[in-house]
Formats: sequence, structure tokens, C-alpha cells
Amino acid sequence: MKGLHAAGSIATPSPLPRDSPLAAGVFAAALLFNVPFAHCGDLEAEPPGASPVTLHFVTWKADHPRAWDEAIQRFEQVHPHIRIQREIAPHSSTAYHDLLTQKLRNRDVSLDLFFMDVIWPAEFAAAGWALPLDDYFSGDERKKFLPATIASGIYRQRIYGVPSRIDSGMLYYRKDLLEQYGFSPPSTWNELARQAQTILKAERTVPIPLRGYSGQFKQYEGLVCDMLEFVVSHNGSFLTDDGRRSNLTATESLQAVRFVREQIIQRLATPAALTYQESESLAVFLQGNAVFHRNWPYAWGLANDPRHSKVAGKVGVTTLPRFSEGRSTAALGGWLYGISAYSRHPDEAWAFIEFMASPETQKHFAIHASLAPSRLALYADPDVLHANPQYKDLLPVFQTARPRPRTPVYPVVSHILQRYFSRVLAFPETDIREEAQEADRRINRVLALLRDS
Amino acid sequence: MTKSTQKHTTGWLMAFPALMFVAVFSLYPAMDSFLLSLYSDFPGPERSFAGFGHYAELLQDPVAHQAFIVTLGFVLLSTTLELLLGTGIALVVHERFRGLGWVRAAVLIPWAIPTVVAAQMWRFLLNDQYGAVNAILFGDRVEAYVPWLADPWMAFGAIVLADVWKTSSFAGLLVLAGLQLIPEETHDAARVDGATAWQRFRHITLPMLKPALLTALLFRTIDAFRVFDLVFVMTQGGPGDATQVIQFYGYKTLFTEGRVGYGTTISVTVFVAMAILSLFYVRTVGSKLLQREPA
Repeated sequence: MKGLHAAGSIATPSPLPRDSPLAAGVFAAALLFNVPFAHCGDLEAEPPGASPVTLHFVTWKADHPRAWDEAIQRFEQVHPHIRIQREIAPHSSTAYHDLLTQKLRNRDVSLDLFFMDVIWPAEFAAAGWALPLDDYFSGDERKKFLPATIASGIYRQRIYGVPSRIDSGMLYYRKDLLEQYGFSPPSTWNELARQAQTILKAERTVPIPLRGYSGQFKQYEGLVCDMLEFVVSHNGSFLTDDGRRSNLTATESLQAVRFVREQIIQRLATPAALTYQESESLAVFLQGNAVFHRNWPYAWGLANDPRHSKVAGKVGVTTLPRFSEGRSTAALGGWLYGISAYSRHPDEAWAFIEFMASPETQKHFAIHASLAPSRLALYADPDVLHANPQYKDLLPVFQTARPRPRTPVYPVVSHILQRYFSRVLAFPETDIREEAQEADRRINRVLALLRDS
Repeated sequence: MTKSTQKHTTGWLMAFPALMFVAVFSLYPAMDSFLLSLYSDFPGPERSFAGFGHYAELLQDPVAHQAFIVTLGFVLLSTTLELLLGTGIALVVHERFRGLGWVRAAVLIPWAIPTVVAAQMWRFLLNDQYGAVNAILFGDRVEAYVPWLADPWMAFGAIVLADVWKTSSFAGLLVLAGLQLIPEETHDAARVDGATAWQRFRHITLPMLKPALLTALLFRTIDAFRVFDLVFVMTQGGPGDATQVIQFYGYKTLFTEGRVGYGTTISVTVFVAMAILSLFYVRTVGSKLLQREPA
């Protein structure tokens, strides 16, 4: 832990905030005891009786609260002069975003640490809310993380977030059912549809009908992720390669959306999928009522826990299917640690981030909370692999996970996408091309406004 | 200082705290919102003056138009149903019978429950897998269960239903107040003249109830126009924006998208629409109420 701790700061000494008497005191003490400055956050370098610092960390209600309590307790033991005061915000990414950005817009100095969903750094950076971490987060250190997670924290050549973990879409399936019918996990969406149809025809339909597919199709942020996976695995895209224009009317994009409407929503999923977020869609799978299920890595632990799941031990997980002409695509998700630009204690906040993103803490989360590490080396760690044997096969998925559009106006773009997808799925009579044209027009207008700046 | 100016000054002094309260908590926020709506949202955090640009944008925004139509539909449907049901409730609890106190209290329970809690409850009731509504309608026939909130029209109906369930009793309360003002002798006289129950209701109760009904209508329309929490909890505007009411659209624009200028433009527009509607009501309803006063 200590080695890592120093490594992070040696490369570029942390800047001293002028308004922090504590940091100045520690600095003076460091000089006095002739301790290298890089150790200024360390226990030994602290003068006895250093005034305690309380960091306010806006977090969400975790799926595995105990794992988080333990990690934070351990941090406070290692850094006795720092207390972490947690403020629990809603777990929904959008609700969390609304609460957090309101605090930041008000330049709330009582906020030091927060999470950023991978889609926010551009917005937070452009607004000046997130502290650039280039001086803390060295290039060598960044190389130890999965490249997609690092890239999601960068905006205009500066880095604003440290990846706490990686999330990416993956396909869970009923190993027992597939074996019974002699299928191997599907590699294309059409194969998935065929397998599901065969199984549905032969399996029970009462009292609770078995469904072919369970995913997230409510009008919310998750819909954008699910649809991205279909569209990009059909060689379509949301924006053109240069990111300047919307690309929803491209034939590949349109065909993928049509497939979701006609094959997934109208044939394989329950109509209720239009109201499902992660937890509802997972519940269907855990009850044994779906053959295939799309979710993030956290579902693995729950699916194999007999207290929550009727299908524990009967679950397989693999890469998401693709269309025959495309490549398997997983939407990149996950959360980055960030420091508020208005924090009075950036050095202490960094010490916390360094601890939480360290190999030891991420290992703890991988084993006790099924959170997939953002650090590459942990995918070779025997303990991590013992708890999550599926990681071995999924590492390639994590390495190629696909980000959603990166733009400071992402929330606007996302709302337009959500409306478009939700409308074509919920109103079967709508003309997909017309709806896509309308979404294209609106997205292009927003992107153009931004370019004028 | 003459006595009358002294009286005048005292009056102002005594009204001052209340006026200050209104100025600080109503007037200032409203004016500030209006000013905010005149500034551009992009680029970035620095704002530039945009005049009435956002208002022009709102006029051409198809999403806003749709949200406005959804809101209007919600207002019309929910207030009509609430007034009908409310009148029914009022007529029942106006009668004297055993257990009247209990019935009156029970009727008010939905109204006393916070809307967010009620909305969450309806979301559970209407759930496609474990919802009580499906269990009651279909029992063990799980395959027949309906995902109420997944269909655009049924989701809209569910929002209306939740609102009617929650606020009919409030409308009923206002109508009941009106009923109790109708003198018993009028009814007695009509009975002596041989009027049937329907005739008494049609020609005595209803006309004399008009001011109360109009007051209930005023409160309910304005309230229904501001509907937000039901949508926020039950559907988040979905599916396909079918339940996206104007206030929810404003919220998304302002808080999620961070477009302070456009978001406040929507709020200010709703505010102005409400103000006009209220003025209209006060003109028509208010004058009728005042006419009644001397009697």
C-alpha cells in the first residue's frame, strides 16, 4: 500500500493549496523531519496532533454496503487524521447526477469527493466542477488501468477521474437450458433469437411464462447502453466517427433498432421490459423466468447467491452477441472517483482516491462486491479469479468496451436518444426512419451550438 | 400628522412583514427566474444575454408541444373525474348516518398521504409481476398479468387514476363545505311541494353548489397543471414520452441537462399560463362568490 501511495505522488509533487493550514503544517513538518515531501500524506510524516480533516464524499447506496463500510474503515485506520463523511445520494445515475451537479453549480465547499459516471467527465470538466488530476495521477500509474476506463476520465488532454472499477454489458444465460437443448452460447443476435424460440416452444409457459430475453428498456439512461450494444454490433453508431454529427439514420443503425423492436421487444421479452431498469430485469432472470439476460458484472454475484437466486449454479456469462456482419459490443459503464474543484482539501481527497483505487482495495471489492477491477493486473490475481472465474473470459470484453458519446452536452444528447428509442419501441406503428431523422436533427443542433463556442 | 395619515402609516407598518415575506419568497424568485430565462445555456458555464430566444425556441419545440398536450389531457381528464367523484363523496358524507365520522376520516386518507408515497404505492400496485392490481384481477393466472405502465395509453391512464384516487376527496371537501351552506328549509319546502329527490338535486342543490364547484375546479386545475411527482415516481415520463408532462420536461431540462435558461423559460411559461388561468377564474368565479356574500 505504501509503495503505491508514494509512487503516485513522487512523479509529480502534489500542489499545495494555499488556503489549507493543515497542508502547510504538514509541509513544514516534512521539511523539519527531513522526510521526503512525497510522503506528506503518510502516517509517519504527520506531526503528532495534526488537526483532523473531514472529507465529504457524495456516494450512492451500494449494492454491497458492507464491502464499502469495511474499505472506508480501513482507510481511516491508515489515515487517522482523515475522516470520511459519506452522504448517500440515489443510486440511479440520473438522480445522482441531478443532486451532485446542483451542489457543484452552487460551488458547495463542503463537498470534496464524488463519483462520476463514465459519461460525465466532459461535462464536469467543461463546467470547471472537477479538479484536473494530472499532477496527482501519473502517466505510469495510468498505464496500470484498463485503457477504456482511463480514456473515459480524459477531456481535452487532461484527466479528471480515477476509475473505481469497470462496468460493461454482458450476456448472462441459463447454462442448464442451453445444455439441455444442445446449444452453445449464441455468438450472433439471430442465433440468440433462434435458440430462445426453440427453448420457449418446448418449455413450460404456465404459470409464469418463460421469456427469451430480459434487458433494460425503460426510458432512462440504461436504454442508451442497451441500444448502443445492438446498434454498434450492427456496424451502426450514434454519432459519426468525428463525433460532430448524429448517425441514427444510417442504414446499419436503423436496421439494428428494427431488430430490437421486432425480435426482442415483440417476441422474446415481456412487454413489461419497457418499464425495466437493471433490478427489475435481473429479478426476472433470478426467478428463472428468462433464458438470456443482459446486465453489468455485479449481477454475477447475485445470480449465483442461492439467497437471491433460483438459478444459482445454472448461470453462464459471455460476451454479448453481434450481428453476422458486425462485432460484439459492450457498452462501457462504471464510476470514476473525482475531486471537487471547490474542495479545500484536495491532497487529503487524493489520498482517499489513491487508497480506494489501489490494487488491494479493488481486490476487496472484486471478491466481496463482484465489482470488476479497473486495474489490469488484478485479472491475473488468483484470489480475484477464484471468486470470479468468469473474469478470465471477460477480460477481452472489458478491454474493448465501447463508450457512449463523449461531449459536455451528454445529458441533452442522452435525453434525445432516450426519447427516440423509447418511442420506436413503445409505439410499434411509428416509422423508425422518421423518428431517427427527428432525433438526428435535434442532436445535430445541440452539437452545432457547442462547436460555435 | 393627521389622524388618517397616522392610521395609514400604521397600516403599512403592520402589513410590512407580510409584504416583505411575499417579496422575498415569491416575487424575487419569480423575477430572478424570468431573468435567468433570458440568458443562453451554451457554451459552458459563462452565460450570454439571449433576449427572448428561449421563448422562440419553446414555440418551435415539438417535445414541449407534446408535453403541453399531455399535461392538458391530464388536467381535463383528472379534474373532470375528481369533481364528479368529489361531488359524489360530498353528497354521501353530507348525509347523517351511523359511523359518519369514520367515513369522513377514511375518505380523507388518500389526500393526507404525501404524493410521492402514494405514487410509489401505485407503482407497486401496478407492477407486472407482483402488483396487487394484477393479483386481484387475474389471481393465479400469472400469464394474463398486464404490465400497466409499459403501454403508453395505460401508463397515462394510471397517472390520471392515481391523481383521481388521491385528490377526489379534497374536491369532495370543498363541495361538502358548499353543501352545508344550503339551508335545510329550502329542501323541506321543495319536499312539501312534492319534488322528487332528483328534482331537488337538479334544481336546488346543484345551482346553489355552483360557487363551491367552481372553487374546487379552480384549485384542482391549477394543481393538476403542476403535476410532477406522480410522473417522476411512476413512469419518468415514459414510455416514449407518453406521460411526460410539462413540469417534468422542465425539470429534466433544468436539473439533468443543466440548461438553466431553457429550463426556467419552461417554468416561467407555466407560471404565466397559471397566472392567466387564475385571473380568469377569479374574474368569473370570484365575482359570483362576492355576489353571494350579502345573502
